[in-house]
Amino acid sequence: MSIFRLLASRILLSALTLLLVSILIFLILEALPGDVATRILGREATAKALEVLRSQLHLDQPALVRYFQWLGDFLRGDLGTSIATGRPIADVLGPRIVNTLLLSFFAFILYLVLALVPAIIQAVNRGKAIDNVISVITLLLLSLPDFLLATMLLFLFAVAVPILPALATISENSTWPEMLRVMVLPAVTLAIMMAVYAIRVLRDSLIEVLRSDYVRLAELKGLRPRAVLFRHALPNAIVPALNVTALNLGFLIGGVVIVERVFSYPGFGTLLIDALQLRDIPLIKATVMISAAVYVAANLVADVLAVLLQPRLRTSR
Amino acid sequence: MKKLIEVRNLNIAYGGTAGWTNVVQGVSFEIARGEAFGLVGESGCGKSTVAYRLLGYGTINSLVQTGEVLFDGTDLLKLDAAALTRLRGKRIALVPQNPTTSLSPGMRVGAQIREMIATHKALPEDMAMETRIVELFALVGLPDVGHRYPHELSGGQQQRVTIAMAVACNPDLLVLDEPTTGLDVTTQRQIVQLLADLRVRIGMAMLYVTHDLALLAQIADRVGVMYAGQLVEVAPCEKLLSAPAHPYSRGLIASIPTIDGAARPGRGLRGVLRRDQISTGCKFEPRCDFATTACRTTPQTLEPVAEARAVACMRWREAVAPHFPVLVKRGEEKTAEAPARLLSVANLSLSYTRPGLFDRLLDRASPAVVRDIDLDLRTGEVLALVGESGSGKSTIARAISGRLPPGAGIIRLDGTALAPALKDRSVEELRQIQYIFQNPDASLNPRRRIRAILARPIDHFGIEVDEKALETVLDNVGLHAGYLDRFPEQLSGGERQRIAIARALLVNPKLLICDEILSALDVSVQARIVELLRALKEKHAVAMLFISHDLAVVQEFADRVAVLYHGELMQLADTATLLSKPLHPYTEMLLEAAPGLRKDHYVSRPPSAPNSMAAPGVGCPLAGRCPRQIGSLCADTRPPIQTTVNGFIRCHLTTGNLATGASPANRNDHPRQSRSVS
Repeated sequence: MSIFRLLASRILLSALTLLLVSILIFLILEALPGDVATRILGREATAKALEVLRSQLHLDQPALVRYFQWLGDFLRGDLGTSIATGRPIADVLGPRIVNTLLLSFFAFILYLVLALVPAIIQAVNRGKAIDNVISVITLLLLSLPDFLLATMLLFLFAVAVPILPALATISENSTWPEMLRVMVLPAVTLAIMMAVYAIRVLRDSLIEVLRSDYVRLAELKGLRPRAVLFRHALPNAIVPALNVTALNLGFLIGGVVIVERVFSYPGFGTLLIDALQLRDIPLIKATVMISAAVYVAANLVADVLAVLLQPRLRTSR
Repeated sequence: MKKLIEVRNLNIAYGGTAGWTNVVQGVSFEIARGEAFGLVGESGCGKSTVAYRLLGYGTINSLVQTGEVLFDGTDLLKLDAAALTRLRGKRIALVPQNPTTSLSPGMRVGAQIREMIATHKALPEDMAMETRIVELFALVGLPDVGHRYPHELSGGQQQRVTIAMAVACNPDLLVLDEPTTGLDVTTQRQIVQLLADLRVRIGMAMLYVTHDLALLAQIADRVGVMYAGQLVEVAPCEKLLSAPAHPYSRGLIASIPTIDGAARPGRGLRGVLRRDQISTGCKFEPRCDFATTACRTTPQTLEPVAEARAVACMRWREAVAPHFPVLVKRGEEKTAEAPARLLSVANLSLSYTRPGLFDRLLDRASPAVVRDIDLDLRTGEVLALVGESGSGKSTIARAISGRLPPGAGIIRLDGTALAPALKDRSVEELRQIQYIFQNPDASLNPRRRIRAILARPIDHFGIEVDEKALETVLDNVGLHAGYLDRFPEQLSGGERQRIAIARALLVNPKLLICDEILSALDVSVQARIVELLRALKEKHAVAMLFISHDLAVVQEFADRVAVLYHGELMQLADTATLLSKPLHPYTEMLLEAAPGLRKDHYVSRPPSAPNSMAAPGVGCPLAGRCPRQIGSLCADTRPPIQTTVNGFIRCHLTTGNLATGASPANRNDHPRQSRSVS
């Protein structure tokens, strides 16, 4: 079956990409002045103390050995120890990732709605006033930096009309309604930022599909407009938008960092910024690897979905 | 007969940047229950616009100004969307022009038919949906292909699926929009045969829109001829073909190349329809041989002239009266010494996919799409390469032009072997082979003026020309210097193809590769391009490799014909011999399928061993489809090449057996009746 062959080759390629990412991260962090030992002991540390610590942390080994050690540990699930807190990274990361996943999931659902609904409205009413209005709005939002949008939403709904909390603080004993309320603003920001580009792509591809011979035949078969749109037009129009969505998921990772910061949401993004500021090297390595993995996986899923939606791709090659 | 649908005084306009243009004017006709009505005309005459209105459908920028389309007493043009939805598919169904783009690509074909039946709740009582779908497939001569996706079917199969879908709810009227355009000749005939058969069985009426009168002759009861948005003649089909009354109908019929050599009244059309030249009177006046000054100012409307006949021409009696000489006499066969061999192709094999890494590691060769081709072409000769789509015609042309390096074999021009890849060929070699593509819209740069388009090859090859060169070449292809400052989009399809020919001629090539250059053009334009090519051949002694799927066009001016099937040459012979004594079973199949201008009750002969297909490169590619197959021999062994008087035949049957129709395995086969060919 070619679909399995395709899947296998894509997974192989993804693994290769991640391997390259790991090498790159390692090299960059290696090139930075100072090492973990100086970070831990501080500037005043004696050479003797540093040497002892370095041998404890195996920092006196050659870079190649340390790389493979780190990679091996990482693959086994041992992410190392955070310098700043002294706790195992897995413990620090775990709850943060859960929080971010929750936020991302919420944002992604919103994104689907925010991308599909305006695009469909535009394509069905192409050339009319509503099409132009939505076009202008999306263009406006597209040219807005994400932190600005976040700040504007924050000002509108938390300060001017205070219906939502400004700070997205949650703890382990927050209830579900509380969590949702807290997540509305960051999720909406993320969803809008992702959706604006997807709307434009989806609108154009949907218009093209609506002009196609098979949509005309579907209409002339006497199918109801809704059936024509959802059964024949949309599944074929969505393919180009899938690639955008995969890229968007990449953006989601980057966007999450900024949006979480603006709303002080205790997620993966804030952790990454903290790690960078504190130069917590093991934590940086772990967070960057995880975000790279998410990005690669998103693209993999998009590719496979595109093949599933277009049976023609399955037999070609 | 009772009227099923009646179109009354239909006027339709298209909105564009320059305001409204009338595309359909005063069209009226009716179709009785069970009747097949043909609507014929050249591209842009408004026939499809009319046809889609019978489904209550129009594009967003079109506007019905006046008129009614009465179906069972209700005016379809006044129905709301919901009422139309109930009608479409259930009582009036469409068979689209291009089945490949008309079937939803992501949906299995069975589901697409099921959806149609379910929407209209048209499942016969006490019948399961799946049974009904299989029954429909059987009706159109398909096995149960319901689980297939459209791209997994051939073009002919896809069209059968759309037909099955169209008849799924037993409609009263079937609207067919050029349903066989783009299909191979043999497939075309099978589809038309199927439609005629379905009509008898289901008893539905048909509106058959086409530019192909020859096909219409096989199926229509009555025909309406359209020109520039108006009906110019309505007549029973056989009356129209045997005695057309309107000058346009006469010209149209005379322009159609056929291989049956039937006598044609009148001569081919001249000029092209130019909307800017249309007179206030008769629209055909600028191109009409019988026009008088009165025609220019007097609008013509359909007037009944005989039983069931109407003509929109006040001078039709004069038009019918004189008889022009029937066919242009072609030049006698030259018996002079054979000119030098220009192109020779030896043992050519081609494949598209380069072997991938895995395949190379496992030492697997990629399958050849074209194998063992031997051809030669002399200076000034026209060799036609014919075959169905996918037979490898264009692939061979690509290899000769250097765009596809061959897997094996040698291509020689003037005795020197050409480099396989384009980039390794010398500038001089590139100049000597020029290529004209099928679609002139896509092969001319839309952003350049004709002058720049023509000057480009001259600059590129550094050819020294006088300043009159461009004008001379335009003159050679029947255009004038006024075209130099136009853009391609300001030209008609036929004019664009002339520019493409002019561009190729400018560099004095020795070989012109014409890749289906006529198939995108109307018959009247085709006829004139053929004239042009024939003149060029005589004047410039250019050799041509003329690729076509249309034997009727080929016989007009090719010297020799090579018949290709599934990448292998089946037969090579001079044109007259091939058409009069085809010998090879595949050539016979092609000739039988080419429609003449009268009803010929074509029935495709069944293959004698349908289930014994040959593996590529092993047996005969025709095995499994050949009506004269000799059991498993054909599938297992490669047929020998038998030399004939002026060519060769690749077949297991001896030439003697082929000529008499005898076959060792099938002795009771009737001798084939001799065929009259012009």
